[in-house]
Amino acid sequence: MTVGPVPFMALAAILFAIGLFGALSKKSAVMVLMSLELMTNAVNLNLVAVSRFVTPESMAGQFTAAFVMVVAAAEIGLGLALVLALYRKRRTVELDHIDELKG
Amino acid sequence: MSLIPGLLSAIVFLPLAGAVIVPIAARLAPGAAKWIALAVAAVGLAMTVVLVAGFDVSAAGMQAVTNVSWVEQAGIRYHLGVDGISLAMLALSSLLGLIAVIASWKITERAPAYFAMLLLLQVGMNGVFVALDFVLFYVFWELVLVPMFFLIGMWGGARRDYASVKFFIYTLAGSVFMLIGIIALYLSAGTFDMVELAAKGASGAFGIGFQNWVFLAFFLGFAVKVPVWPLHTWLPDAHVEAPTAASVLLAGILLKMGTYGFIRVSLPMLPQAAAAWAPWISVLAAISIVYGAAVAFAQTDLKKLVAYSSVSHMGFVMLGIFSLTAAGLNGAVAVMFSHGVVTGMLFLIVGIVYDRAHTREIAKIGGLSQAMPVTGGLLAFAAFASLGLPGLSGFVGEFLSLVGSWQSAVIPQWVTIVAAIGVLLAAAYTLWMVLRVVLGKPTETVTGLPDATPREIGMLVPLIALTVIVGVWWSSLLAFVDPAVRALVAVITKAV
Amino acid sequence: MAWVALIPLLPALAFVVMLPMSRRARNAVRWLPAAATIAALGLSVAAFFAVLAVGGEEPVFRASFTLAELGGAPLAVGLRLDAVSAIMLLVVTIVAACVQIYSLDYMRSEDRRGWYFAVLSLFTAAMLLLVLAGDFLLLYMSWEVMGLCSYLLIGFWHEQDAPRSASIKAFLTTRVGDVGFAIGLAAMWASAKSFDFAVVLHGFEWTVPAATVVALGLLFGAMGKSAQVPLHVWLPDAMAGPTPASALIHAATMVAAGVYLVARALPIFHEAAPWVLQLVMAIGVTTALLGALLAVVQHDIKKVLAYSTISQLGYMFIALGAGSEIAALFHLTTHAFFKSLLFLGAGAIIHATHTQDMREMGGLRRSMPWTTTVFVAGALALSGVFPFSGFWSKDDILMVLYTGGHWYALVAALAVAGLTAFYMTRVCVRVFGGSEKAHAHEAHPAMLVPMALLAAITVVVGFTSPAFAGFLGEAKGWPDLGMAAVGTLAALAGIGAGVWVFGLGKVDTAVLKRRLPRVYAAFVNKFYFDTVYGIVFVGAYAHLSGWLARFDVSLIDGAVNGIASAWSKVSSVAWSADVRLIDGAVNGLAGAVTRAGGRMRTLQAGAVQGYQRLAYGALLVLLGASLLVPFVGTTVALAGGAVALLLMGVLVVRGA
Repeated sequence: MTVGPVPFMALAAILFAIGLFGALSKKSAVMVLMSLELMTNAVNLNLVAVSRFVTPESMAGQFTAAFVMVVAAAEIGLGLALVLALYRKRRTVELDHIDELKG
Repeated sequence: MSLIPGLLSAIVFLPLAGAVIVPIAARLAPGAAKWIALAVAAVGLAMTVVLVAGFDVSAAGMQAVTNVSWVEQAGIRYHLGVDGISLAMLALSSLLGLIAVIASWKITERAPAYFAMLLLLQVGMNGVFVALDFVLFYVFWELVLVPMFFLIGMWGGARRDYASVKFFIYTLAGSVFMLIGIIALYLSAGTFDMVELAAKGASGAFGIGFQNWVFLAFFLGFAVKVPVWPLHTWLPDAHVEAPTAASVLLAGILLKMGTYGFIRVSLPMLPQAAAAWAPWISVLAAISIVYGAAVAFAQTDLKKLVAYSSVSHMGFVMLGIFSLTAAGLNGAVAVMFSHGVVTGMLFLIVGIVYDRAHTREIAKIGGLSQAMPVTGGLLAFAAFASLGLPGLSGFVGEFLSLVGSWQSAVIPQWVTIVAAIGVLLAAAYTLWMVLRVVLGKPTETVTGLPDATPREIGMLVPLIALTVIVGVWWSSLLAFVDPAVRALVAVITKAV
Repeated sequence: MAWVALIPLLPALAFVVMLPMSRRARNAVRWLPAAATIAALGLSVAAFFAVLAVGGEEPVFRASFTLAELGGAPLAVGLRLDAVSAIMLLVVTIVAACVQIYSLDYMRSEDRRGWYFAVLSLFTAAMLLLVLAGDFLLLYMSWEVMGLCSYLLIGFWHEQDAPRSASIKAFLTTRVGDVGFAIGLAAMWASAKSFDFAVVLHGFEWTVPAATVVALGLLFGAMGKSAQVPLHVWLPDAMAGPTPASALIHAATMVAAGVYLVARALPIFHEAAPWVLQLVMAIGVTTALLGALLAVVQHDIKKVLAYSTISQLGYMFIALGAGSEIAALFHLTTHAFFKSLLFLGAGAIIHATHTQDMREMGGLRRSMPWTTTVFVAGALALSGVFPFSGFWSKDDILMVLYTGGHWYALVAALAVAGLTAFYMTRVCVRVFGGSEKAHAHEAHPAMLVPMALLAAITVVVGFTSPAFAGFLGEAKGWPDLGMAAVGTLAALAGIGAGVWVFGLGKVDTAVLKRRLPRVYAAFVNKFYFDTVYGIVFVGAYAHLSGWLARFDVSLIDGAVNGIASAWSKVSSVAWSADVRLIDGAVNGLAGAVTRAGGRMRTLQAGAVQGYQRLAYGALLVLLGASLLVPFVGTTVALAGGAVALLLMGVLVVRGA
C-alpha cells in the first residue's frame, strides 16, 4: 500500500506545534529545552519523510537528519550544562525569575 | 661673458648651510657661532664682489642665469638671474648682512639661535632679488618673515611681542594678496617665469581689466612692505623693538623688497595698469614723504625718528618708480641703495649710543660732540647724508626722483612740488635731532661714556665710503642700473 | 689749462686732510687752509690773465665729467672759466685769504680753532667750485655744501643756545629757497635735457612758460641764499658765529651766490614773462628798504652790518631786475671788499672792547687809530662817497635805473643810499666819536694787514669800473656827472643827517621813541617777520607734527590695532560658537545616543521566552506573507509583512 509523505508530515507538524507551545509557555528551563528537542525531532521526521517519498534516489534528507541529530545532541548537552550552572547560582530554573538584564 | 655657473645659487644658499651648521657647531665650541656667521657672511660678500666685477654693464638682460626645471608638473622652474637693479640690491644685501653680523658681536644670550636667524634672513633677502620664477620669489619673500619675527620677538625691546606679531601678520596679510596675483598671472599666461611674464606684459597680452585687479593685488602685497602710507604703522614698532642688527636689515633691505617688487613685477608685467594708477600712487607717495617727515619731527625716541624718516625716504622711491621715466627710475634705485646704506649707518650709531646709555630718549641724550666726539661726528655725517646733502649718496636719488617726477607724463606737477617740500622737512627733523643730540652741552646720561670702539667704527667705514663714493661719482651705481632702467622704460612707453 | 681745477681742489684737500685729525693735530695745522687759499689766489690771478689774454665771450677753459646716464641721455657736470668766473675767482680768493690770515690771530684763544679753519677751507672750496661751475647742477651742489659750512660756522659755539638755533634757522630758511631751486632745475631738465650753461643759456630755444617756471625756481633759491625778503630772517641771527666767518660768508661770498646765480641765469629771465624781472626788482627794492630801515635801530654793531648786507644785496637785485648783470656783479665785487673790511674791523673792535653793543663803545679813534681809518674807509665806500668803490658801483646801478626808466626804483635806491649813509654815520659816531667808554688796544698786525689790503682795494677798485664792464663784454665810459652828483648828494645828506642826529645830538631819539611807540615797536621787532614766521610756520608745523604723530598712533595705528582686536573678538565668538554649536552638536549627538542606548538596554531583560515568541511570531508573519503571495502579489505581501513586523517591534519595545 502506498503511504506517501503526507501522514509523516502531518505527524511532524503536530509534534512541532506541541514543541512550540511548550517552548513558549513552559516556566521551567528544562521543559523549554525538552520542547526545543521535540521541535528539532519533528523537523527531522519531516526531512526524512520528504526525502524517502519524494526524492528516494538522493538521500539528502537522511543525511541532513543525521547531521541535525548530532548537532542537537551537542546543543542539548551545552544547554543542560548552562541550566545546571544557572541552578547552582540561583537555586531555581524558572525563566521568569532570571531577568537581571532588565534596565 | 661667463660668470661662474651656480654663483648665484651659492650666494643665496651658503647662508642656509651656515644657519644649519651654526647650532651644531655651537654645541661643540661655545662662542663659535659668531665666527662661523662672520665667515659665511664674508664669503657671501666676496662672492658678490666677484659677481659685480664680472658683470657686463653694457648688456641689458639678465646675467648669471640659472634656469633648470624644478617641478615640471606645475611648470615651476628654478630660475635665478640678475640685472643691474637686482645686482645693486644683492650687493647691498650681502654687505649689510656682513655688517649685521659684526654689529651683533656682543650678543651672548642664545647666540647660536640668533646667528642662525641672521643667516636664514640672509638667504631670504638674497633670494628675493635674484629669483626669476614667481614661486621661488614667493618662497624667499615669505622666508624673511620667520627669522625677523624671531629676531624681534626674542632679542628685542620691551614691547617685542606686540611688535613682532604685528610685523609678521601685517606683512603676511599683504603677501597673501600677492599670492593671488601670482596665481592670477599663472592662470592667464600659463607660466610662473617672471622674465616670460614681463615679455608678455610688454606685448600687451593682458587686458586692462585683468591688469587692474592683478595690479591691486600686487600693490597691497608690496605696499605693506615698502611701506606706503597708510599701511606703514607696523614699521615704527618693528624698528624700535628690534635689536640693532635686525633694524639695520629691516630698514636696509626688507623695505627695498617692496619697491623692488614694484620694479620687477608691477611695472613690466602690468604696464597699462601701472600708468593708470600712477597718479594716485604718486599722491600716496607725496603723502608718505611729507607725513613721515612731519611725524619724525615730533618724535622723542631716536629710533622712532629714524623709522619715520624711512617712511619719508621710501616715498621718494615710490615717486621715482611711478614717474615711469628713466630719471625717476634711476633715482628710485639710487634712493633704495643710498637709504639702505645711510639708514643702516644711523641705526648702527643709535645702537652704539643705546649700548652705552641704555636709552633712546632724545631728551636724555645730548651733546655727543663733546661726550663721545667720534660717535657724535659720525651721527652728524649720517644725518647730513640722510637729508640729502649733495656730494653724498642721498642727494643723487632724491634729486633724480624729483626730476623724473616733474617731467613725468602721469604725475601732476603739484605732487612734485609737495614732494620737494619734503626735502625741506627732512632737513627740519634731521637738524632738530642733531641740534639736541650732537650739539649743545652733554647731558648726564652720556657724560663719561666710552666712545665708539674700533670694531664699531670699522663696521661703519664701508658705509661711509659708499655714501661718499656714490655721492660724488654717480656712475659707480648708476652705470649698473641705467641699462636695466632703459629696458624697463622702453617697455612702459611702448605699452602706454 | 687743467690747473684751473686745482683752484677749488686745494682748499678742499686741506679740509679732507684736517677732517680725521685729532683736535690738537688740527689746531697745529690751522695755517694749512690759509696756505691753500693763497695758492688758489695765485692760480686765480693766472686764470684772470689767461682770460684777459684771450678775450671775447667764449669760455677759456671747459671740463666735463659725466655723472650718470639717464635712459642713455648723459648727465654731465663741468667746470667753466670765462670772464665772469675769472672775476669771481679773484674776489673770493682775495677775501678768503684775508679772512684766513685775520682769523689766525682772531681765533687764537679758541679751543677748537682747528675745526674752524677746516670748515672755512671747505667753504672756500665750495664757493670756488660754485663760481667755476659750468652748469647749474654743479652750482646747486656746491651751493648746498656752502649751506652746510654756513650751518657749521654759525653754530661754531654750539654750547650756547643762540648759535645753535641760529644755525638751524639759517639752514632751514635757505632750504626753503632750495626747494624752489630744485624745482627750477627739474623744470630745466624737462625742457632742455641739460644743465650746461652753454646749452641752457645760449643754445636752447625757451618757451615763455617753461622759462618762467625755471626763472621763478632759480629766483626762489636765490632769495633764500641772498637773504631777500621774505627769506631774509636768517642773516641777522647768523651773526652769532665768529666774526671773520661772518665777514667771508655772510657778507662777501655766500650771500652773493644768489646774485651770481641770477646774474648767470639772466638770459633765461629775459626769455621768461616780463613780470618775472619786475618781480626781481620789486623784491630788491623791498629788501633794500627793509634792510636799511632796520639797520638804523640796531645796537649790535654786527647786526647793523648784517642788515646793511641785506640792504646792499637788495641793491644788487634791483640791478638784476633792470636787466644789468654787469652792474650787479660790479656792486657784488665792491661790496665784497668793503663789507668784509667792515666786518673785520668790527671784529677787531669787538675783540678789543669785549662787547658787541655800540652803546658800550666810544672814542675808539684814539686807542685804535688804524682800525678807525680802515673802518671809516669801508663806511665811506658803503655810503657811496667818491672816490671809494661803493660810489662807482652804486652810480652804475643808478644809471641803469635811470636809462631804463625805472623811476620808482630809482627813487627808492636814492632813499636807501641816504639811509645807508645815515646809519653808517651813526655807527662811526657811536664807536669812534665821543669820549672813551672803555680802554681798547689796537688790533694785531695779523689782523690789520688784511684789513689794510682790503681798504686799499676799496679805494682803488672803483676806478676799474669801465674796465670791469669791458672785461665782461660791455662798452661803458666814465660815470655821468649828473647822476654822480645826485648820488653824492644823497650820501652827503645821509651823512649830514647822521651827524646832526647822533654826532651833535640835535634830535632826541628817546622822544621819538615815545612819540611813535608802535612804529618803534615795529622796528624793534624787525617788522614782525620773525614773529609771524614763528607762529605761522614753525609753531604751526610743530603743532601739526605733534598732531600727526598722535593721529598716526591713535587713528591709523588704532585702525590696525582695531582690526586686530576686532579679529580677536571674531575669533573668540567663533571659538565659543565652535564650543557651543558645533562641538555642542557633537556632544549632543553623543548624549542622545547614550540616552537611546540606555533605553534600548532595557529591552535586554533576559526574558527568553519573550524573545522566542517574537522570533516565532516573526517567522509566522513571514510565512503567512509568502503564502499570500500568489493571491495578492509580492509587493503587497512584503509590505504587509514589514508592517506587521514593525508593529510587533513597537509592541515589544513598549512592553519593555
